[in-house]
Amino acid sequence: MKRRSFSALMAGVAFAATLSGAAFAQDKPTMGVVVKIGGIPWFNAMEMGIKEKGAELGVDASMIGPTSADPALQVRAIEDLIAKGVDVIGVVPNDEAALEPVLEKARAAGIKVVSHEGPGINNVDWNFEMASAQGFGETHAELLAQKMGGKGEYAVFVGSLTVPLHNAWADAAIAYLGEKYPDMTLIGERYGVAENVDDSRKTALDLMAANAGLGGFLAFGSQGPIGAGRAIEEQRKTGSVHVIGPFSPGQGRDLVKSGAISGGFMWNPAEAGRVFVTMGKMLMDGTEITEGTDIPGLGVVSPDAANKDIITNNLIAINAETVDGLADLGL
Amino acid sequence: MIDRMKRAFGPEVPGLLGFLMLVVVIFGVTAPNFLTGANLGSIAFQLPELGILTLAMLIPIISGGFNLAIIYTANMAGLTLAFVLMQFGGVEAGIGPFLLGIVLALGVGALSGAAMGAVIAYVGAHPILVSLAMMIFLRGLGEFLTKGGDISGFPPYLATLGHGSVLGIPVPLILFGLCAVAWHVLLTRTRHGFAARMIGSNLKAAAYSGVHAKRTLVLIYTLSGVMCAIAGILMLSRFNSVRVGHGEALLLVTVLACFLGGVDPFGGFGRVVPVVIALVVLQVLSSGLNLLGANQHLSTAVWGLFLVGVMILRWGAGRWKERQRGRG
Repeated sequence: MKRRSFSALMAGVAFAATLSGAAFAQDKPTMGVVVKIGGIPWFNAMEMGIKEKGAELGVDASMIGPTSADPALQVRAIEDLIAKGVDVIGVVPNDEAALEPVLEKARAAGIKVVSHEGPGINNVDWNFEMASAQGFGETHAELLAQKMGGKGEYAVFVGSLTVPLHNAWADAAIAYLGEKYPDMTLIGERYGVAENVDDSRKTALDLMAANAGLGGFLAFGSQGPIGAGRAIEEQRKTGSVHVIGPFSPGQGRDLVKSGAISGGFMWNPAEAGRVFVTMGKMLMDGTEITEGTDIPGLGVVSPDAANKDIITNNLIAINAETVDGLADLGL
Repeated sequence: MIDRMKRAFGPEVPGLLGFLMLVVVIFGVTAPNFLTGANLGSIAFQLPELGILTLAMLIPIISGGFNLAIIYTANMAGLTLAFVLMQFGGVEAGIGPFLLGIVLALGVGALSGAAMGAVIAYVGAHPILVSLAMMIFLRGLGEFLTKGGDISGFPPYLATLGHGSVLGIPVPLILFGLCAVAWHVLLTRTRHGFAARMIGSNLKAAAYSGVHAKRTLVLIYTLSGVMCAIAGILMLSRFNSVRVGHGEALLLVTVLACFLGGVDPFGGFGRVVPVVIALVVLQVLSSGLNLLGANQHLSTAVWGLFLVGVMILRWGAGRWKERQRGRG
């Protein structure tokens, strides 16, 4: 019994020693941002942005990344933030509906709430988006049209037919091309393969074999451009068939440089992190956000006050020139 | 007094309580807001869903089995309640449909548990395999029924269940307390609890001594399923939404809590009170580390270290006791 208590005591002392360093800085306003999952490059970059802007604006801002993308863990993290008494809570929701009760609790406790990638969420002061579904789809479509010279056949990949966001991008892109570039024709329906490299590669090979006139792939889903790019490299069709879509710069670096992937767009998670802190500071200071307010990182915004959404298009291009810089961020 | 506590609640209790006090003192000193009502409230609201799921895991483990399907059983029960509420108007649904939904949800939990128990008892398949199969089945079924999305928009009185307090005590905590007492009584005062422990110690010996082993196994998993359903209803009211994947990350934490609470992984031994204290320790560790702003992966690592440490201490304590006995 004694030995057990003693060892436990030692372990506890060791904890306290390692962790007590974090318990200072009480005068500064505090902010906690709960993201979908911790330890992945996207949110590591976001954390960097949060820390950087926090230091700049004098806000004690930190990010909490749950160990798995489970809404239950986000709810727990937010409850702990409420208990901690932070001034602002930021959240990138895994599941909008599951967070409503706990965010309501946070706001009842006088905490300001900012969300990102949660356009349908109600219990927030503001939700901001770095890209609208429509803008994201159309920007990619425009790039494809330019690469293909405004004519020819193209195919569309999405992550899966049940991913709402990918399909919204695809809808916008197809509608845009149909309207502005009548000489471009979509072949087949959209293919739900773009979360898997091998499926994307095989589907791209099959489609190129079956359609001699195929000039481009529009791939929404992180692995789609990679798979399609590999297929084009194998078939030595670099330059005659174009692959456009958002992908991880680190993973697609070589394919972009060889030209097998023509390019794509993404938004910068580090910038989103900075915007979290900027907006949190604005809310704490009571700065009104209205039509024409200039928010650093988002630009001049036109907020949708009824839905508490601020939707902007702050896309950055991934191409042979920018890919190294983005990949070096770990993205 | 310590001896009396050991006799009543199990030999693990004083050690765990000591550790709990230690953790509280350390965080009380290092984390500025730790000993505030807000934080204790946060802990009290977070503990119950994990706690009830752990109770659902506890009885199968004591019987020498395992139930991997707890999370999905809970969410299937939650979905059942959600479907019923949606049929009666969603936000406008009255108390009648709510009660009907609760009964059906408990029924679904019991049914899935009973099915598992029957396969384990009568087919003789290993509980890990059977519950794994059930888990995959329920996840698939749930995703099929909901198309992977969630159902939300429930009557406001459900929020009372998930977020309300009575006399300052959170309603979920009261629910958890009732469940824990029920389980404690079941395991220590009833024939069924005794039979469950005997089966966990030695299935064959229990059967030869006249314990109806098969019926007991079915009942064990049925009760586990009912407890899952209660957890599912609680999660529904806490999140105001149900989806098959809610709480997936909690599955292994429930196993951790059982083992920390001194439940024998091979079955036969285990008590409710030390498991509850272990749960409180885990929650306090997690909330305390969150208050300090520690990385979430670090707190998972601390949980793991904690389990390894407890196992080593137990081994050490066992050796020490043996030596004492040898000397005497």
